Amino acid sequence: MNIIKRALKVGAAVLIAAFAATSLAGCARESTATGEQTITIYSGRSEDLIAELLEQFTAETGIGVEVRYSDSASLAAQILEEGSNVQADVFFSQDAGALGAISEAGAFKKLDDDTTGLVYSKFRAVDGTWIGVSGRSRVLSYNPDLVAAADLPKSIFDLADPKFKGKVGIAPTNASFQSSVTAMRVLAGEAVTVKWLNAMKTNAVLFEKNSQILEAVESGQVSAGLINHYYWYERAAEVGEDKMISKMAWFEAGDVGNLINVAGVGVLSDKPEAKTFAKWLLGSTAQNFFVNKTAEYSLTGLAAREGLPALDQIAAPNIDLSALSTLAQTLELIRNARLTD
Amino acid sequence: MRQRPPILLLGLAILAVLVSLAPLSYLVIRLGEFGIDKVIANVVRERSLELLGNSVLLALAVAASAVVVGGFQAWLTTRSSLRGRALFAVLAALPLAMPSYVTAYAFTALFTGFRGFAAAWLVLTIGTAPYVYLAVSAALMRADSATEEVARSLGAGRWRVFKEVTWPSVRPAAVSGAMLSALYTLSDFGAVSILSFDTFTRAIYSAYRSSFDRSGAASLAAILVVLTIALLLIEPALRGKSVVTDSHTRKYSEIQLGWYAPVAVMLASAWVIVSLVLPAYSLVRWNQTGLSQVDLGEVSRALINSVGYAAGGGFIAVVFGLAVSVLAIRYRSTFTSALERSIWITHAVPGIVVALSLVFLSNRVLPEIYQTSTLVLIAYLILFLPNAIAAMQTPISQTPRELDEIAASLGSSRLQTLRRVIIPIAGPGILAGGALVSLAVLKELPATLLLRETGIETLATRLWSETSVSAYAAAAPYALLLVVVAGIPAWLLNRQVQAGSRAQSGIEQRIERE
Repeated sequence: MNIIKRALKVGAAVLIAAFAATSLAGCARESTATGEQTITIYSGRSEDLIAELLEQFTAETGIGVEVRYSDSASLAAQILEEGSNVQADVFFSQDAGALGAISEAGAFKKLDDDTTGLVYSKFRAVDGTWIGVSGRSRVLSYNPDLVAAADLPKSIFDLADPKFKGKVGIAPTNASFQSSVTAMRVLAGEAVTVKWLNAMKTNAVLFEKNSQILEAVESGQVSAGLINHYYWYERAAEVGEDKMISKMAWFEAGDVGNLINVAGVGVLSDKPEAKTFAKWLLGSTAQNFFVNKTAEYSLTGLAAREGLPALDQIAAPNIDLSALSTLAQTLELIRNARLTD
Repeated sequence: MRQRPPILLLGLAILAVLVSLAPLSYLVIRLGEFGIDKVIANVVRERSLELLGNSVLLALAVAASAVVVGGFQAWLTTRSSLRGRALFAVLAALPLAMPSYVTAYAFTALFTGFRGFAAAWLVLTIGTAPYVYLAVSAALMRADSATEEVARSLGAGRWRVFKEVTWPSVRPAAVSGAMLSALYTLSDFGAVSILSFDTFTRAIYSAYRSSFDRSGAASLAAILVVLTIALLLIEPALRGKSVVTDSHTRKYSEIQLGWYAPVAVMLASAWVIVSLVLPAYSLVRWNQTGLSQVDLGEVSRALINSVGYAAGGGFIAVVFGLAVSVLAIRYRSTFTSALERSIWITHAVPGIVVALSLVFLSNRVLPEIYQTSTLVLIAYLILFLPNAIAAMQTPISQTPRELDEIAASLGSSRLQTLRRVIIPIAGPGILAGGALVSLAVLKELPATLLLRETGIETLATRLWSETSVSAYAAAAPYALLLVVVAGIPAWLLNRQVQAGSRAQSGIEQRIERE
């Protein structure tokens, strides 16, 4: 036993020396404009989309930011596993579901009323633990060479028709798709949703990501696909708007296929700067940024980007976004329909 | 002669095992919270079993095809009279430089409808055949071709010589290469998700992604651990008896391919086209489409961090891998063998589970190291130590034991013997182990993404963030750079494996003269 003890001591010494040596190597980071205070943000929104916005935040407020980019769900899992040692001051999530999960675990601090009051009430948590800061609409992207605008389905439920067999792309493991199915379950009921999902098992071509669906619509692999509206603009920025083949369509008024989901934030620490950041995201700089740069909807009342229907014209289904955190039941349905693992 | 192992080695090896098994404690804690009945309900579902079947089937298929492809390449480049075999040798190791998610993406960009089982099988075979190739060609170079010639002269046909002489001498190497390939396949997420083939690991990821269901994911990961243990248990039987081929004459007679030469060239070239040319073409084409601008400062920062992590990961893998291998080979006992085997147990656990387990454990035990490169390196050690050990074992075991005894008789301590005899002779093989780990680190994504210091980006994390929005053109430089950077250790690896046998034969000749 003595040998093992000594062995462990020697081993630990070498381990520490090795790590000390290697930890010094390779830490090139982008120097952030640090003010007096700095907050750490866990961001499920990608750097490409919001790095510029965060720079503007630092410029306007003098508060520095450290950002950790990853996908919203991994970050949510990470926050939950960090337990009482949470490193983030703010969680900036790509969708309401991840915010709901953290809120449910009781990790968010309540936001001030003068912050939450700025957001349309349907786009924030009822208990004031998180707010939506920008909105995205579910749309049907379609390839006009393969399906005429007049032949497009009136409702998301019409996609169950056998005539769409093999022609429509969905991403069953994608959080946006799952949120829209949750909305369907809450509004139309479980039986209807199960029926639709089973039909989609037959009709749909499955993808991992919205961007892959859009690519497949562009290339003609599928005629249409369910995505978020801003993916179209992202791709347009990439290849040039004139080279885009696909177009976007909305279902008829109130259809659950027109769900509007949000990206939003919750505050995890007691730092006052964290709350400052949450409120700043609802100010004119940030809201203009969402409209013009990321082609999302403002949630404080700014006009939508040219070419997009206005937020209140989309005739989105009427749903409490907090209900989107009831994802577990939805997943069970999606799983039972054998659309996911 | 049984010797007590040096304290230093024992200490390093025990530490390596404790670190490697750390994720298990996390799994146990999560499963404990979940309750055993829910675990069973979650696992024994028709769907879970079907996915498990898919995973096992894919892992076996990939392992088998990796052995066929890698073994053929090894034989062709070390034993045959093929012209240009030196070139084929370099090209055989090179696919290691390409992350399987990049290969998968490259193929889907070229061929619409490239998806499903066959697609995943091909992409993962491309990624893992080099493991078998490297191991088997090292073994072939060290094996005694004189035995083959004797067998030939006694009238045995080519097939019989292969079956009864060549195969037994490379079998352990081939099996350990196959094992690496199978475990790699079990834990892969990137390729199977891009190629839409449903496996167990994909289910684990979607449990996290879609339901924040940490316990459900843990119960699935536990199944992979059980599966790995089962594979570890049958591995010794597959390896067969190790054949001692300590030849002191090292003259190869090349096998004349004769009429088969064109066929061999065609097969080898076809594989080069599929495994290298097509993906590379797709990458370059990808680089040219699109309008996104690339930020050079960003690229160079990512490059520096990638190289730093790769060097650090390779270094600690060499230190700990050497300790574990030398113990298991030179100080063989039930205890040291058990240490070596335990390193493998968590090898099929997907990166995200390993990473989350380290988030959980470090925040509760050692919060100081959370989100520092120390924890990142620990994750790499857990994920890739088996790769280093698999590469080191053959060269270390083939270092002549007599030299140890001579050194000891001349008054060397056991550590001095290690430093002055084993490390110099097996040096290239040991470095090859380090290079393999550096390569794996360069390509690693999920653990790096979760554990890196806030604000640190690597080539792989950049590639991920650029493709997760649809900025394909911005992603291409990272993919290309990653492949080019990873090409360096891949190329070195090949040289070292070949240099290894030369160094060894040189030493043996010297011994003979003295």
